[in-house]
Amino acid sequence: MSILMNDSTRVIVQGITGRIGSAQTHWMLEYGTRVVGGVTPGKGGTTTEGVPVFNSVLEAVKQTGANASVFFVPAAFVLDAFLETIDAGIKLIVIVPEHIPVKDVLRMRSYAIEKGVFALGPTTPGILVPGMGKMGIMPASLFAPGRVGIISRSGTLSYEFAGILSENKVGQSTVVGMGADPVVLRNLADILELFENDKDTDAVIVVGEVGGEQEEKAAGFIARQMTKPVAAYIAGRYSPQGKKMGHAGAIVRGSAGTVTGKHEALKAAGVEVLESPIDVAKWAKKNKLK
Amino acid sequence: MRLHEYEALDIFEQNHIPVPRRELVSTMHDALHVAGEIGYPVIIKAQVLVGGRGLAGGIRTASNPDELKEAADELFTSEIKGMPVRKALVCQKVDIVKEFYLGMTVDGYSGKPVIVVSTEGGVLIEETARTSPEKIAAIHIEPSFGYYPYQARSLLRMLGLEQKLITPWSEIIGQLYHIATRYEALIAEINPLVVLSNGVLMAVDAVLEVDDSALSRIRFPLPDRVDRIENPLERRGREIGVTYVDLDGDIGLISSGAGLGMASMDIIGQKMKPANFLETGGGITADLLYRCMELIMMKPDLRGIFINVYGGINPIHEGAKGVIRYMQEHNVKIPVVAKALGNRQEETWEIFKSGEVHVVTEAATEKAVDVLYKLVGPGKKTDAGRPKASAKGK
Repeated sequence: MSILMNDSTRVIVQGITGRIGSAQTHWMLEYGTRVVGGVTPGKGGTTTEGVPVFNSVLEAVKQTGANASVFFVPAAFVLDAFLETIDAGIKLIVIVPEHIPVKDVLRMRSYAIEKGVFALGPTTPGILVPGMGKMGIMPASLFAPGRVGIISRSGTLSYEFAGILSENKVGQSTVVGMGADPVVLRNLADILELFENDKDTDAVIVVGEVGGEQEEKAAGFIARQMTKPVAAYIAGRYSPQGKKMGHAGAIVRGSAGTVTGKHEALKAAGVEVLESPIDVAKWAKKNKLK
Repeated sequence: MRLHEYEALDIFEQNHIPVPRRELVSTMHDALHVAGEIGYPVIIKAQVLVGGRGLAGGIRTASNPDELKEAADELFTSEIKGMPVRKALVCQKVDIVKEFYLGMTVDGYSGKPVIVVSTEGGVLIEETARTSPEKIAAIHIEPSFGYYPYQARSLLRMLGLEQKLITPWSEIIGQLYHIATRYEALIAEINPLVVLSNGVLMAVDAVLEVDDSALSRIRFPLPDRVDRIENPLERRGREIGVTYVDLDGDIGLISSGAGLGMASMDIIGQKMKPANFLETGGGITADLLYRCMELIMMKPDLRGIFINVYGGINPIHEGAKGVIRYMQEHNVKIPVVAKALGNRQEETWEIFKSGEVHVVTEAATEKAVDVLYKLVGPGKKTDAGRPKASAKGK
């Protein structure tokens, strides 16, 4: 049916009393998500959008049986709140905020992996399972239930691809934003593996962009372990080169994460490389996806 | 934020990394005065925030005042990769026996800081990495474990260095790691790190790029980050809180995400040419989009505007109000096409339509760009090649 979220996912919203946190809680509830509580230190005992607010994550977990959390916490406080959430036993965390210092992300990532927590972001729109629920900010109107998985580095492009597919009567099993930052909490290959093992996903679309080496590394995983069809689009062919990480980055990676380099790696792994987003409709038709 | 070489050298010196005698100058007259004090020969280095400065002619050697006069005159009247030279560093020319490389960055894939060293420093270091990988060694640092000096020593042994170099070099690695941590650097680099004829190791160049997201909590004095943006439009973008990159086309672009913005550029670039890249991030308000319109309209000869936004975290109906307010107040006559989908999309479409914006309600950006193309045609700039950045985005 889906990856990451299912019928037993019970979500808390951290930073629920903020402007964005409360607005997004409204949209998540409206989409049918089981939002069972919220956390804002100092606001415990109140309610937001009809949802009880707690002072700590541990209290929220004890009172509501929550097992997943979505963050609308100001960037400067995310590291602290993230560690608290892991220690409270939550196993799925979505970090929506942008502008979190890389140093903090490195610590978050290392602790999450050590504790077996699946975390997405930072700068992610989250996860959406069409017709079932969502953790994050994806606008529901663009999605439709079906059997195609989407993983995107860019939030807005995940909406674009889901929207094009939905207009062409092709639905999605789960849509996952992995986060747009240079360091994210989970690598692309880990999410691909979940889709490969999901009996309700028939094919996967990877929406990447210039920079980094997520797509190149995922190509190795696809070649070795994926049996399902994969298509990929890489944004940024004509983008100015401003994101180069100095010599050290280029030396470690062997390339600067160019669109051409990513295309070559993905093609060699048997991935269908899409030149433009709209080509995803033809690919879905060719593979008889629905 | 990338620091200038002179700023990074000052930080290196404060943290006990040996650096050459030097002084910052902004006129040829000052350069002559400083060189007189430091003593010839000297090197004069343009302080511009571009990569490949040396290969572009931004670094000159002078053995006497006449040579320095000529070099300084040329530098201060020239541009390095499109950047005017306002300041230059006059440095003592040291007696170099050997050039090494030392760099640190964050490896995004492994999620760890990485330290890279090479026995072949200099401008062709990336080439060396491809052709002679045995001359490069790298080590990852566990974020939960941190850096320890033995890691530097074992890294240098991998390169087969003699012991008398390992001790001073590992000390410099320790200092650079310390700097990178305190300044939350995404890049800290010494290229080249040189051995002098008296055996001393010295950093004759310095690169430091600070994580923009950490600027507010770094407790050491840092220069203003808006001031250093050369391009006035890009500076204005930073001031209003959006990412703006100036390009040489004639189609204005506003997008609500970096990925969507890049894809929009790719699609516009198939038939037309973008005048800019502008990405709002997640903070759209009516005022912000009003200012975005004002910013992109500062470019002369714009033939059309393409707005591509999604209402996920952004209140796009508010954004639409800002766009049409600008258009009405400034009597905008060029075609404006908007694709806006997501939360409160119908309301957004109504607002756009009330201001004579052409609204596209399908998801594919290609279809919206086609609508714009039918309105404005290919234009003169389209066949002049692909867009190029006139300056760095960050």
